[in-house]
Amino acid sequence: MKTHKIITTMLALMALVVATTGTLYGQKADNKTETIEIKSSVVCGMCEERVKKDLAFEKGVKDVAVNLETKVITVTYRTDKTDKEKIKKAITNIGYDADDMMANETAYEKLPACCKKDAPPH
Amino acid sequence: MKISITIMTIAMMAFTNLQAQTVSGKVYGVTEDGKKDVLPGVNIYWAYNLQGTTSDIQGNFKITLSRNSHVNGKDAPKVDANEGHPNEGHPNEGHPNEGHDHNGHDHDGHDESDSHNEHLLVFSFIGYQKDTIHVHENMKQVEIVLRSDEYLEGVEIAARQKGSHISRLDPILTQNISGAELHKAACCNLSESFETNASVDVNYSDALTGAKQIQLLGLAGIYSQLMTENIPNYYGLANSFGLMYVPGTWMESIQVSKGTAAVVNGYESITGQINVEYKKPDASEKIYVNGFIDSDGRLESNMNAATKLSDRWSTMIYGHASNNSSRDDHNGDGFLDHPLYTQYNVFNRWKYATEKLTTQFGFQYINEERTGGQDNFNLNDERIVTNPYGLNIATQRAQAFWKGGIIFDRPATSLGILNSYTWHEQNSFFGLRTYDAEQNSYYGNVIFNSYIGNTQHSYSTGASYRYDNYAERLNDSAFGMKESVPGVFFQYTYSHPDKVTFIAGMRADFHNEYGTFYTPRVHLRYVLTPKTTVRLSAGKGYRTAKVLAENTSLLASSRQIITHGALQQEEAWNYGINLTHYFDIRGKELTLSADFYRTDFVNQIVVDVDSDVHEINIYNLDGRSFSNSFQVEASYELIKRLDVVAAFRINDVKVTYNDELLQKPLVNRYKGLLTLSYATNLNKWQFDFTTQLNGDGRLPDTQMNPPEYRRPETYAPYTILNAQITRYFKRWSIYAGGENLLNYTQDNPVIAANDPYGPNFDASMVYGPIMGLKAYVGFRFAID
Repeated sequence: MKTHKIITTMLALMALVVATTGTLYGQKADNKTETIEIKSSVVCGMCEERVKKDLAFEKGVKDVAVNLETKVITVTYRTDKTDKEKIKKAITNIGYDADDMMANETAYEKLPACCKKDAPPH
Repeated sequence: MKISITIMTIAMMAFTNLQAQTVSGKVYGVTEDGKKDVLPGVNIYWAYNLQGTTSDIQGNFKITLSRNSHVNGKDAPKVDANEGHPNEGHPNEGHPNEGHDHNGHDHDGHDESDSHNEHLLVFSFIGYQKDTIHVHENMKQVEIVLRSDEYLEGVEIAARQKGSHISRLDPILTQNISGAELHKAACCNLSESFETNASVDVNYSDALTGAKQIQLLGLAGIYSQLMTENIPNYYGLANSFGLMYVPGTWMESIQVSKGTAAVVNGYESITGQINVEYKKPDASEKIYVNGFIDSDGRLESNMNAATKLSDRWSTMIYGHASNNSSRDDHNGDGFLDHPLYTQYNVFNRWKYATEKLTTQFGFQYINEERTGGQDNFNLNDERIVTNPYGLNIATQRAQAFWKGGIIFDRPATSLGILNSYTWHEQNSFFGLRTYDAEQNSYYGNVIFNSYIGNTQHSYSTGASYRYDNYAERLNDSAFGMKESVPGVFFQYTYSHPDKVTFIAGMRADFHNEYGTFYTPRVHLRYVLTPKTTVRLSAGKGYRTAKVLAENTSLLASSRQIITHGALQQEEAWNYGINLTHYFDIRGKELTLSADFYRTDFVNQIVVDVDSDVHEINIYNLDGRSFSNSFQVEASYELIKRLDVVAAFRINDVKVTYNDELLQKPLVNRYKGLLTLSYATNLNKWQFDFTTQLNGDGRLPDTQMNPPEYRRPETYAPYTILNAQITRYFKRWSIYAGGENLLNYTQDNPVIAANDPYGPNFDASMVYGPIMGLKAYVGFRFAID
């Protein structure tokens, strides 16, 4: 009974410590970042959410903004972790065009209806 | 995603000398961060024939006026944002969003002719809220501003959405608790999903079994209606533990509405309605797994998996297992602080959907066993007074449901059918008391929706049937109850989306025992100003009390249970008023909501634990019984990505016990709530903090007890703090947190804990937590 409590508390604390140091450590490194704009095929709020959610966990990505009017995705990333080509590739893997690169076909098929290029007007 | 017709229009008129046959203008779009720019490619068409054009690269457009448009000479030219526009979109999806930036453009009340469709010009663009304007003959040049979808509430597209919000359109005050909000209270089931909600309280019913009870408007959960996907569920025998039969990770969202509900769902729901939506087979993660452990030995695991079998068929399976085998007695009273339990819960459902036809069916099975009592109690011990006191509750529940929906060619016309059958069995003992019970319940409801004339006048009508059969045995006496209640209902809705929604409903039910009774209910939602909405509701509700089945916790005492006379049907009126106002402060919206609800019982089954400390007296109300509940709530995004909700509620609940009007015991006289929720950029980290201030209250009279077993007349207020941190990864998220951080526990929750077989033993006087500080950690894993 007591041991249970101690073990769980320790687990919880450990998870916190690991996670926190992880981020702190990550931020301590040389933070050379670059911001790029990529023309894409995002059309609706759902696309925006998808792109943001997926790119957020792409290695080196620090910030993502999506402009639905201009269809431009603005990405800030760490130059020592990734580069523009990798980010463009990541965008195509979510199912969207990235500048000259076309969307990955299989990923595109999985997009919600409103995100398809031939989506009917809502 | 729901794209809605919306009014957020800043309309601007200019008089030009153009030919009378065209209207032209410019379309702009405004994104969430306030950037306004011309919007090319917007679809612009007449609502009545769908013919139209698109805006050019500069956002300009020109469209020919419809032939039959008439001159409106009465008023100065104006653009009416979003007038009616019936027949647009799907039911429940095409609602306009009242409020925002309407800039005082009042609705044109002079122009209610049926032909006004011909003047409605629709602006539609993906990612933006659709807008509809009313074109007048003398209006030539318009400027339209479309808002991006992020402004819409209730949609799931927002990059970052508040977890809980008040629906602006629902005429009944309804709060939606989204999946995001459910993540804030990481554990684990429906009973723990209201920790960040100001309206709903969840309290332990006794110190031994772990049974929990919802409280809405200061009244017990039996007076509200708990539904799963619009089917009444977890009532009767499931009332005590039903909240724990709904695992948190199975849920997609919860809707809490206060005051009487619509008559289509039945004659119950006096104080409100809580509806749970499970995750959907055709719109859920492919695989989802969750694990949880806390410092009191609670282990939980949940999973769900969904598959699309074809374009039309999809299926989903949900699983849950939980266990606690840790014998904890932190307060040293010799009794376990929480019961030991094991629950298995599986649910499988199937969905078939085309554009016109939907059908769903599913099966659920729950098996739970819980054991509590003195910490040295052994389930195999013979049940005699020389052995430790113990209790055991073994529950099995099986449920099947089938639903169907047909959408007809006539707009806004549909037919819905709901069917559900439940079998519930409980075998239990509490010390020397034995209680075994079985419940068989059927619920069927057929609802037809359509409209009269135009969709501003819609109605729902149909018939329902409820069947409940209880067979109970307490010690050596067997008793039971059978209810068979066919009913019919009709509900009329007038809606003028911009201004007013009015619902009047009536139902007649034919009870096998209580005869015919009528349930009238009215609801009104009125937009006072574009930023202020008022809601009124009034209505009647009925229910049949099944005292023992619904209050298993009463058995965890030595009190003798005495029923006086023939128990009548419970009957009550409920009236409510709500005022919601939206303030724009520093570009963010502050929502302020105040409501007052009164419930007046015509008859109530009074469960009297005051008149005699050794008895539970159950009788028909003789005198007054009422509840007043006043609540204010404010929510605001204080700094970027930090949401704050502050709420305060005052409850005044009084019941006549034995000719004396007394404050209802164990009901907090007030409650305060403060929640802070912060997410880092890109939502990788989430921090949640909740404070609950639970007010003081009255304890049942114990003056007849020997001095050592007496309790004070009142209990003091106490504060509960919870905190949680969540880290999101692409597929994983892990969370850790603490509950009851101030380590507050109720002193001596069990009366006569040293003499459980004696006459004074009572474990039902619980007002606060029995378990103190608790730490937990868990994970979620999802494959989309």
